[in-house]
Amino acid sequence: MDFRIRSIDFTAAGREIVREREVAADEVLVGRNAGCAIHLPDLAVEQQHVRITPKPGGGLKLDAVASLGFTIDGRNTQSASIDPAKGAELGVGSYLLEFSREDDGRVAITVRQRADDEGEGKDRLRGFSLGGALPGKRAMSWIALTAILLLFLAVPVVSHLTRVEVEPDIEGEGAVLMDASWSTGDLSSVHHGLEDNCEACHTEPFVAVRDETCLTCHEGIADHAADTRMALGMPAPQGADALLWDIAHAFNKPGPGACTDCHTEHEGAGRMEPTAQQFCADCHDTLDSRLTDTQLGNAADFGELHPEFKVAVLPRKGAVETVRTSLSANPRDWNGLRFPHDLHLDPESGVTQMARRLGEQAGYGDMLECSSCHTPTADGVRFLPVNMEENCEACHSLVYDRVGTTFRTLSHGNIDQIEADLMAADRSPRRPITTGRRRPGEFAEGGLYYGNFSSVAPAVLRSNALEPDGLCGECHYPGDTAGGVLSVAPVTQTARFMMHGWFDHDAHTQEDCATCHAADTSSDASDLLLPNLSSCRDCHEGENSLTAEVPSGCAMCHSYHPREGAAAAPPRIAGNLSLRERN
Amino acid sequence: MATVAEDENPRRERASHHEGFLSHKRMRWLKLALILCLVAIVSYAFVDVEPRHNGGSWYGYTLGTIGALLIVWLSLLGIRKRKMTAGKWSLKAWTSAHVYLGLALIVIATLHTGFQFGWNVHTLAYALMMVVILSGIYGISVYANLPVPLSNNRREMTKGQMLDALDAIDRQLEKAAQPLGRAESDFVIAALEQDTFAGGLGARLSGNYRNCRTTEALDMLADREGDPATAKVLSLLRKRKAQLDQIRRHLRIKALLEIWLYIHVPVTIALLGALAAHIVSVFYYW
Repeated sequence: MDFRIRSIDFTAAGREIVREREVAADEVLVGRNAGCAIHLPDLAVEQQHVRITPKPGGGLKLDAVASLGFTIDGRNTQSASIDPAKGAELGVGSYLLEFSREDDGRVAITVRQRADDEGEGKDRLRGFSLGGALPGKRAMSWIALTAILLLFLAVPVVSHLTRVEVEPDIEGEGAVLMDASWSTGDLSSVHHGLEDNCEACHTEPFVAVRDETCLTCHEGIADHAADTRMALGMPAPQGADALLWDIAHAFNKPGPGACTDCHTEHEGAGRMEPTAQQFCADCHDTLDSRLTDTQLGNAADFGELHPEFKVAVLPRKGAVETVRTSLSANPRDWNGLRFPHDLHLDPESGVTQMARRLGEQAGYGDMLECSSCHTPTADGVRFLPVNMEENCEACHSLVYDRVGTTFRTLSHGNIDQIEADLMAADRSPRRPITTGRRRPGEFAEGGLYYGNFSSVAPAVLRSNALEPDGLCGECHYPGDTAGGVLSVAPVTQTARFMMHGWFDHDAHTQEDCATCHAADTSSDASDLLLPNLSSCRDCHEGENSLTAEVPSGCAMCHSYHPREGAAAAPPRIAGNLSLRERN
Repeated sequence: MATVAEDENPRRERASHHEGFLSHKRMRWLKLALILCLVAIVSYAFVDVEPRHNGGSWYGYTLGTIGALLIVWLSLLGIRKRKMTAGKWSLKAWTSAHVYLGLALIVIATLHTGFQFGWNVHTLAYALMMVVILSGIYGISVYANLPVPLSNNRREMTKGQMLDALDAIDRQLEKAAQPLGRAESDFVIAALEQDTFAGGLGARLSGNYRNCRTTEALDMLADREGDPATAKVLSLLRKRKAQLDQIRRHLRIKALLEIWLYIHVPVTIALLGALAAHIVSVFYYW
């Protein structure tokens, strides 16, 4: 087979010199040996390196003669077949041999030395790394670090330190920038207005929120007890507790007893969470061992350790001052009335019969209900005093006369008026029992023998008014006789017996009254129909109870900060109260 | 990295075997991390924090301190890895601990949050931490799975040889294209001039090079197979395409192997910043 071997050399000046020679042989050897048809003076080339033999069909077969291989089109190999018509590049040492088929059908092998700069060395390999397609890790790190420290640290700190300090205001807006990013959670609804005014509470850097800060707004709040009593009553922290407080103090936390100990914020929007009973129990579970003169029973958990309720009652007939007595002593409350609940609730009594007869028109059903006489207050928390005119008079009528179609009624509670009315009634002529007929002669009205035999005899009415079944005495006890014949004992309807605990009837509407108040077995108005501790425990037990229908913490009924009147409700209940009143 | 197993009997032949950092010392650090997680979870369930768990309780601060120290220590691997040592505190032991304690951080930091999240610097730090951990998990999984495909794709060629092969084809292509007309030559020039490593991150990761001039040249010249000169160019272009495909497969696997570090490292640094802001802000607004 004929080969045309073309070798390309360069002169010192860089000029190309091309030499061509024809070789007719069955095989062509490539090597360092001078005897090879293609002689390559390169130490990296073997004496005989590649043998080139023609294959049928015009192809060439390339084989490594010794152990070193060669490259075909850049690929390492020991043997290869090529088609000169399609071209191929054989690499041996520093030489490149290019195969092609000339127009006259000969196979041309162009030999040249690889240029020094070919491949550009290791720099080219950098492209394989991902670094070429991405910004550097170091640059990205610095940018992210700087941005975060600037936005979330430098901006809030600098604007906090350079702000103009103003009096905190629930409506106001904060001057510190980007500190919303520091908030660990939404504020409770009462503090919602302070949401974008962090520095209102966080006044000093690295100083935990202080009581003084809370008191700038909550100025009227009263102390739980006198400082000396508090100091005496609080147990010194022990063990792990003491350690925790030591750490807290090392980090500049106030307490124990600071506002923030009980009132935690940033717990999410909505109502502020009630204080856990543990905060109360810490002192109150063994209070008597430290405050030896305390009148309070120990309390730690409503279901397990809580003293019997104490109620403020009028202990005797005629008592003016209330006395706080434990329900365990079965106290009575003299409200100044005669009233047997059992008679009014007995389905077979005359009372029931009368209610039935008066019927729906008068607002009654088949028998008297509690609600027939007891009207809840507007907020539903407790009941209005029973009112004679509205709640009793439908049956216990004070009508003493009838004129035409109207009835004359004694004015309840106004003794002078009653006296006057009765006196006047006694003098005025009575209506005839029948109309159109007259008594004969002197028996007639105005005659000598006229007698007033009508059903109401005012004089009698007055004289036995305070007998147990008299006009007033049916419900009232005789009062101070110096006040007149009709004077009755004062009536005191107590609206609230428990002064330091809160009870909301509205929260208990799912229960019947009789569940807690044993009215149907009470025959005397001085019976105190209040449920005791154990009946409350039917549903309520301590905060952590798993069995109770209503697990109840201290804060459900008690307020830490002493308050007066309606505000004596725990604030969250008082909050509901004002909501209800608004509606 | 191979280590010599500690041998109690010096007479016996000293056996050398490879043990990866994942199974280092019979997974000592995995066990330790599991114990750490278990203690955290159990104590989370039993410690009573009112009204509910959050990072600001004594328990939350404890977990937070452990978490912050862990994060700082874990990020120190970046410094430690530059100094390979053997023995008790070998780099392998350190890496093993890095992986397993890093995974334990998921539990510790999540419990530290008390599952309270929001748009704030605290959740930012948590989110960055999770990104770092997830990228680390990805990193381990590709380190375990991709070297084999990467090696298979090489077909015993070095990266330099792949480029050399491409050069060899290009040299022939240049010569073979001499008889071609202007328009055809331009396609070949475009193919030859295109940077082998052109194409952004997306192309590298997907292996989908839309602007490949070699493919374009192949498409444009495909209908001129009849002309012998063009046929030769086409044949060389196909060779070039095949060589490019090998390089691109290599690039793709390499990118999948390396990409996680471009997240893991910068986000770790960002996390250290966010962690600093998180801690300082908590005490600043104490």
